[in-house]
Amino acid sequence: MTAETALTLADINLNDETLFESGLSHEAFRILRRENPISWTPAEERIKGHWNLVKYEDVLQVSRHPEIFSSERGIVQYEPINPEDATQAANGNGKMLITMDPPRHVKLRRLVNKGFTPRAVAAMEPHIRQITRKLLDGIAAKGECDFVLDVASQLPLAVICGMMGLEDKDWPLMFQLTNKVLGAGDPEYQTDVPEDQRGTDEAARATGNMGTMQMFGFFAQQLMNRKEHRREDLISLLVDSELDGDRLSDEDILWFCFLLILAGNETTRNGISGGLVSLFEHPAERARLQADMSLMPSAVEEILRWVSPVTHMARVALEDTEIRGQRIAQGERVVMWYPAVNRDEDVFPQAQRFDITRTPNDHLAFGIGEHFCLGAGFARLEMRVMFEELFTRFPDIELNGPVERLRSTFIGGIKHLPVRFSPER
Amino acid sequence: MKVVVNADKCEGHGKCEKAAPAVFKLGDDDVSRVLVDDVPESQRGQVDAAIRLCPRQAIAWERP
Ligand code: HEM
Ligand code: SF4
Repeated sequence: MTAETALTLADINLNDETLFESGLSHEAFRILRRENPISWTPAEERIKGHWNLVKYEDVLQVSRHPEIFSSERGIVQYEPINPEDATQAANGNGKMLITMDPPRHVKLRRLVNKGFTPRAVAAMEPHIRQITRKLLDGIAAKGECDFVLDVASQLPLAVICGMMGLEDKDWPLMFQLTNKVLGAGDPEYQTDVPEDQRGTDEAARATGNMGTMQMFGFFAQQLMNRKEHRREDLISLLVDSELDGDRLSDEDILWFCFLLILAGNETTRNGISGGLVSLFEHPAERARLQADMSLMPSAVEEILRWVSPVTHMARVALEDTEIRGQRIAQGERVVMWYPAVNRDEDVFPQAQRFDITRTPNDHLAFGIGEHFCLGAGFARLEMRVMFEELFTRFPDIELNGPVERLRSTFIGGIKHLPVRFSPER
Repeated sequence: MKVVVNADKCEGHGKCEKAAPAVFKLGDDDVSRVLVDDVPESQRGQVDAAIRLCPRQAIAWERP
């Protein structure tokens, strides 16, 4: 045991964002899997309690029964006791693909999913490679950079903004606003709040709400513009789509845009940056990969398992039910912890080993079933192309300072990742 | 026994084809087709694996 494993069952509080920021969460999950696989986090002053799922089979059970475990009351762990404490984003509960239950869910998904199938994704590879090369051109002469700001965040941003038909000039704003919404709890993004008030729950709420409202303002403008001039993009497609014979409402379309820009940006970014950190931390695996780049597809899967860029999704039980013999009452919230199930010793042999050739590797980083990640194909492709190009061009890239993690229980994020490499001349 | 793919859910991930190549085939439209009416005893295990692995939970045994 290392020095930092002084953590005991009694200390574990999965509402504590700093547990994730510090990286101690993996140790907490290891203890929970062994000692308390279904644990209850009690209510706090303003938020309800919830069940924590850390075993693979339990997350399968919940994901496979959307008729029992609903997404419509929100997919994050926090549910305010007092409805007045709800965030702006919570107004999207029941209105977004990700917060919608059957039977409407699959109908909405079918409006867009042809653009996300393996075939559609494969057709985008040359374009994604071109964007990646341009990004690497931008850092090549410098010999060092913040890999998150200059590279890892920029590829997913360009891809999703491109699909939505947003102009280059708006991309930095999208980066800023998605940080505010999904990084609301991190003082670095609480720039609308006076400095001495940052780091509080109030500051987090204000930041998330500000980001959400600004996003809506922005997309309302885009929508107006598409209604006048259709283009070849997802927003135009939604404008012309029908569900059960009706056009989508403006509100439906705006929530869809909100979901796509967040889901497309804040996840793959951390798959790329978290992947690079994992490879830095496992030099033998990295050397194996660099010696044989044909291992890239399985390396990407192992990175997804290891990093689990989305930390949790939650559901609410619609009826009294049972998981692993534990009674779950109607109305109670269950939280599926992806980094925990992806290292479940009962499913993955040598689960604590980072092995870029692991097969089989049926990790749940993208969830499974009804809400299986719509963008999984793009995320995998972006990660593969990025690492192929990066290691071809900068084979000696290495860490050049401290890795700064996001303070969040929802996104396993990296904010800053200083790297250095031999510059190109 | 008969197995069915729900075409509304299937998004062409192809895990089924890998798990049970004699039973499933991905069409040009990115939707998986079932190749046999009655899955032979010897392939039922493979189909169970496909059901388990399908990311969209689109495959099921047809209840008689
Ligand atoms: C490594 C990157 C990514 C990870 C780890 C990830 C993870 C996830 C997870 C775990 C879910 C399941 C939600 C649930 O069960 O409640 C999900 C859903 C979703 N993801 Fe991703 N995602 C990634 C990238 C992307 C990208 C690039 C896009 C868009 C281009 C995207 C769009 C979506 C959408 C729209 C949903 C909702 C699907 C539904 O509810 O039917 N994701 N994602
Ligand atoms: S694994 Fe599922 S989603 Fe993929 S092709 Fe087969 S049936 Fe379709």
